[in-house]
Amino acid sequence: MILVIAEQRGGELNRATWEALVAAQQLAKRAGVSSMTVAIAGDAAAAAQELAAAGVGEVLTVAHPALVSYAPDGYVAALAQVIQLQSPRFVVLAHTYQARDFVPALATRLNAPLITDATAIAGAADAPTFMRPMFQGKLAAEVKPVGGGPCFVTFQIGAFRADQLQRGGGPSTITPIAVTIDASAIRQAPEEPFQEAARAVDLSQAARIVAVGRGIKSKEQLPVAEALAKALGAEIAASRPICDSGWLPMERQIGSSGQTVAPKLYVALGISGAIQHLVGMKGSRTIVAINKDADAPIFEVADYGIVGDLFEIVPAMVAELEKA
Amino acid sequence: MTRETLEVDVLIVGGGPAGLSAAIRLAQLQQQEGGDPLSIAVLEKARDAGAHMLSGAVLDPSTLRDLIPDFAERGAPLAAPVERDRVYFLAQSSSYRLPIIPPPLRNHGNYIISLNAFVRWLAGQAEGQGIDFFGGFAGQTVLTDGGRVIGVRTGDRGIDKYGQPKPTFEPGVDITAKVTIFCDGVRGNLTKELLRTFQLARGRQPEQFALGIKELWDVPAGRLEPGTVIHSLGYPLRQDEFGGGFIYAMPEGRVSLGFVVGLDYKDPLLDPHMAFNRFKQHPLVARLLEGGQMVRYGAKALPEGGWNTVPQPYLDGALIAGDAGGFLNSMRLKGIHLAMRTGMLAAESAFEAIRAGDTSAASLARYQRKIDASPVRAELYPVRNVHQAFGYGLLAGLAFAGLAVLTRGRWVEDVVHGEPGHERMQTLTGYYGTRLTALTPSNQTAVDRRLTFDKVTGVHYSGAAHDEDQPSHLLVHTDVCSAICGPEYGHPCTRFCPANVYEIVREPAGPRLQINASNCVHCKTCDIMDPYAVITWVPPEGGGGPQYNGM
Repeated sequence: MILVIAEQRGGELNRATWEALVAAQQLAKRAGVSSMTVAIAGDAAAAAQELAAAGVGEVLTVAHPALVSYAPDGYVAALAQVIQLQSPRFVVLAHTYQARDFVPALATRLNAPLITDATAIAGAADAPTFMRPMFQGKLAAEVKPVGGGPCFVTFQIGAFRADQLQRGGGPSTITPIAVTIDASAIRQAPEEPFQEAARAVDLSQAARIVAVGRGIKSKEQLPVAEALAKALGAEIAASRPICDSGWLPMERQIGSSGQTVAPKLYVALGISGAIQHLVGMKGSRTIVAINKDADAPIFEVADYGIVGDLFEIVPAMVAELEKA
Repeated sequence: MTRETLEVDVLIVGGGPAGLSAAIRLAQLQQQEGGDPLSIAVLEKARDAGAHMLSGAVLDPSTLRDLIPDFAERGAPLAAPVERDRVYFLAQSSSYRLPIIPPPLRNHGNYIISLNAFVRWLAGQAEGQGIDFFGGFAGQTVLTDGGRVIGVRTGDRGIDKYGQPKPTFEPGVDITAKVTIFCDGVRGNLTKELLRTFQLARGRQPEQFALGIKELWDVPAGRLEPGTVIHSLGYPLRQDEFGGGFIYAMPEGRVSLGFVVGLDYKDPLLDPHMAFNRFKQHPLVARLLEGGQMVRYGAKALPEGGWNTVPQPYLDGALIAGDAGGFLNSMRLKGIHLAMRTGMLAAESAFEAIRAGDTSAASLARYQRKIDASPVRAELYPVRNVHQAFGYGLLAGLAFAGLAVLTRGRWVEDVVHGEPGHERMQTLTGYYGTRLTALTPSNQTAVDRRLTFDKVTGVHYSGAAHDEDQPSHLLVHTDVCSAICGPEYGHPCTRFCPANVYEIVREPAGPRLQINASNCVHCKTCDIMDPYAVITWVPPEGGGGPQYNGM
């Protein structure tokens, strides 16, 4: 059995959970595992309903006063009990900040192997292996889990496409699981999120992104890109030089020193495509690049490319979109 | 604001070969001699030991053998013994292999290593001896009491880019010590402060530097036998430019290759990174790399000046060792064993001085005597003029190198080389007269993203990362930059920096210097080579910098 641990915050399901479910389905196929279960901790009735509606497997809700707000000790204590009860062969999660925070402790608690940031599943039937990037993506290591116990795997955000989820015939059952947590053993007391975090835009959740690079030339020209973002219902983002110049806030920076995103549509305006930017967006489903320089590396990853002046092309695109 | 303080007996600033050898030697002395246990701390700006370490590297194991005789049993990561040397003189598309290897470049008995793996191992050895290794802490300023060095203040953490404290703010810690050993590397920011405050370089020749740029490649099997060491002279540099290439073959198709350019070139439009790319495009090198993959990139300055440029390495309460003191043999292209040796000697000097209850300059002068009686002087003194002779061109340099070997350095007068390398750079009109048409590098070459890469791609493969929201750690006198250096030299920082930190952005309001501080790989070239010396490198928040692995 494969157990997927879903992630929620304030009752809202993290979109990356769907990617983890797709990864788990592919893993099940490869490993010859027939059943799948989804666990969700905390106060998350609506999120559990949403998961059950997908019909991918029984949904276990793990509610407890100590789990209302996230604390790694509480999650480790609760989920360790769920895993011991279910004894899955694999425990799958999305490689989110929260997973990075508690999963190593959880795996250690169960003396189980943990493979992080996996991007693909490989290996022979019944003996799956996991690919994970090394040297910042230059090399891919093939990791084979050995040893007993459940094997924990976290999957990189954007490595699997949420829309490839195979939905079940009907809704799955929801089963509450009772856990005991010694509240005094929780050493962390969550505080209000940092001011920065509260203001931050989570671009990784955006379905469409319009990103601007140095080709936009000046801050005064930003409305050209913003008009396209508005017409597409997209978030605005930028490559590093734009944020360095203070034309857009740093939280909108895409790339190795900013956010990593994998939207359905990524429109790169005047972005040359330095590798630092590419690593932050190459997992996007459809990439459209507009750049004056036909040799710009962005065209190596683009699905659609237009060599030309963005100040001519973008207004024309906006006009067409507004007609539709 | 309350600042934490920490008191130790010996503080070592910099966890490289010099600093860790000092730490290990101190622990050994402690064990041999007994007495009150000494507290020893090592400060290192990289979060993980070895992460800021980069070198060719060919290790002369002589010091290692003295420091850790059973290094092989302890698993020292020596990638491959050197099996064969080759030296080439390169012309644009041809190469001439020297029939005889010049004695200083004979590497029999030496090992090809990854310095960062080696230093990680050394740090493990030091920690096994109970040394406290503080990774992720940079020394920000020297603490003094009158004319005496009493320790180091580490950098504040959690300051935003406007200099305001963030919620994560933590003030730096004052670490005081009876003796502080400065091993902060080539152009170390604290050693620089010491040299200026205490005039330790008075009466010495000016320091000389070079910039080494390196990549690690995985090449198809069978390209180059592991243990092969190749050096090159000539192309793409010109007759009056110092430098050359290196290629070291390790097992499993891993090749370390790089290019060194003397930071005393005259052409303000020279770009050392372009020179490296041209070196890779030479048929001799391109053939070797064909079908391979670049996996790592990095850069580091080297102290090339030699014996006559070493400052007084001791003062009240402090010693200087390794690259920080300029202990490198530029003729043999080796400094790791000298860094380790001076680290050991500094440890012995500090230990004896503390036991004698006197850590004044007079007492610590024993360090100079130990150096003079050691293989350090025996190796550096005879070749003391060689690098300076290259200031007169490649042929003069080679002739002097030959002479140094024949006479063992017994010439009557020292060659006078009165100017620091950055002062040799000529202005655009001085070098080009009226011939100048564009401010592009004079050695511009195309980037194909297979064999040759741009600097920004290189930065990615250096793993360089800094917290973005912190003040720039490169302090630039921007008035001089825009009003004087730009018109006269055409912003040479945009060319000599191998990490694209300096960029002139053309905007409607006019050109503006943009400092991409988080690209910085901590090579120190800008601090050295800026013609007006208006760039100062200070440590960024601890932990930031390159993340070298296998370099």
